[in-house]
Amino acid sequence: MNSAVGRLVRTELTLMKRDPLTLTFVFVFPVVTMLIIGGSFGTDPDPAFDGANPSHWYVASYLTVVVAATGLIMVPVHLASYRERGVLRRFAAAGFPRWSFALAQLVVGLVAIVASSAILLAVAAPVYGVPTVHDWPRVVLAMIAGAVAFVSIGVLLGTLLPSARAAQAVGLILFFPSFLLGAGGPPPNVMGSALRAIAGFLPLTRVTDAVRDPWLGVGTATGSLFVVAGLAAAASVLALRRSAL
Amino acid sequence: MSETEVVRVRGLRKSYGGRVVVDNVDLDVAAGEIVGLIGANGAGKTTTVECLQGLRRPDAGTLRVLGLDPTTQAEALRPRLGSQLQDSALPDRLRVGEAVFLFDATGGGGGEELLEQFGLADRRRSVFAALSGGERQRLFLVLALLNRPRLVILDELTQGLDPAARRSVWAAVDQLRRDGTTVLLVTHELDEAEALCDRVVAMRGGRVLDSGAPIDLVNRYGRQVTIRFTMPPGAAVGGAADAGGTLDRLRRAPGVDEVVDRAGQVTVRGDRPAIAHVGAALVSSGWVPPDLSVQVPNLEDALLDLLRRPDPEPVPEPRPVQPRISHPVSGAQR
Repeated sequence: MNSAVGRLVRTELTLMKRDPLTLTFVFVFPVVTMLIIGGSFGTDPDPAFDGANPSHWYVASYLTVVVAATGLIMVPVHLASYRERGVLRRFAAAGFPRWSFALAQLVVGLVAIVASSAILLAVAAPVYGVPTVHDWPRVVLAMIAGAVAFVSIGVLLGTLLPSARAAQAVGLILFFPSFLLGAGGPPPNVMGSALRAIAGFLPLTRVTDAVRDPWLGVGTATGSLFVVAGLAAAASVLALRRSAL
Repeated sequence: MSETEVVRVRGLRKSYGGRVVVDNVDLDVAAGEIVGLIGANGAGKTTTVECLQGLRRPDAGTLRVLGLDPTTQAEALRPRLGSQLQDSALPDRLRVGEAVFLFDATGGGGGEELLEQFGLADRRRSVFAALSGGERQRLFLVLALLNRPRLVILDELTQGLDPAARRSVWAAVDQLRRDGTTVLLVTHELDEAEALCDRVVAMRGGRVLDSGAPIDLVNRYGRQVTIRFTMPPGAAVGGAADAGGTLDRLRRAPGVDEVVDRAGQVTVRGDRPAIAHVGAALVSSGWVPPDLSVQVPNLEDALLDLLRRPDPEPVPEPRPVQPRISHPVSGAQR
């Protein structure tokens, strides 16, 4: 693992473990809020949750909160900070390939998502139980596509925004509405029509639908899966183009 | 491009949004040289070296660095360069040892030896944010020297350092000279250029004004010396320290441009040979002032004079410098 990309990925994984923002938003926030919200509506099947156990609904939904926190907060702040401080120029001058940092961010983002998801499920299991996955291929495909899409969006934000502070502000502004309307807040069935319409436009809502519905067996969310796959393809291409060191 | 020629630039031009920041620059660096690219902020130094590193695409000109074209072969060139960039950093939480691992492309780039050499071995587990300014610059030097580059480019190496830290970094660069590394040093600190460089290239407004060994530039542009002394309180006309007679003799001495007497405080200005003539005139007058001082211009005095001149005509690089020992460094600024 002594290639430039290998060394970069290994170093970035090490740094991820030391970053308070990442630890807070990617590893702690989803678990804590899942524990609180997941226990707020009981465990009896509820029509507001498409007939599912509300706790299980939130356990399935909160995997995508991890995806959003990684893509909208961790990656853009990290990347913008590197650009602002000249770290990327230093990497470029040292001969790291132009695409290597974006690829390293993608790998680190995906590792963060897998690790945080595992922690979330490990914490949820003894408290609410982990719901049975009805359609593994769709769930895995949706998680991968959603992760690629959001990490790529994060890379795009990190390359477009001028500073780490700007990236943090924009990231938080994008994250919380997405979190509340698209994954961790009230179910769409209890939202007003306006909020539901807004939620329908949010990428995170599509990712959550594509993961949760086949997981709980309340639908296939094929349309959302196509939207997420398309978003992943477009965002990753743009991210690689924008991320030249 | 010969084996001894590390950098060869002809007619380099670069502009940003219509503003020309590098204009028809020629530059040669031979193997083993320490060459200083000097000038005020905005002189075009950093842009020049960023073009050499392949970080910017020139508008015009031909560039060869280590036999490669940085415009089209940047990815092949960069790993062969050691670079210390102006205004760059490392991740705050990256440890010194991890930085060496990250930048050591071969896995055997001599990181441990370099950490020892530059006094950072006991800081291996320290994070970047905890390093002092001098330690950071020494770490950047270590990273620039990993993988044994033939050319090192150092840009504003000692910017913001206290005097002790500057001296420490200077000692490190001097070590490069002894090791034979070719160095391109970008700086606006003229005392630094004078202390470290075999040759300096002076830039202003994106153009090369002149180049040469520091002592040659001092002789060329900083000819005037200043001699000061105090006339004795009892100096009287016709006496041993006849003030009027002594000052007249000084005014007539070869090489003296000006003699000013302000209440017994005498200032004499002239060229370097005037030092000897003034001394001889004083001795022949039978009186040697005990507080006599001589101020000889240094590179800063000389180049401040050069940079004050209105609309200087650019002087082309005279000739490739003969190889001595070498080392590289880089930096630049827009």
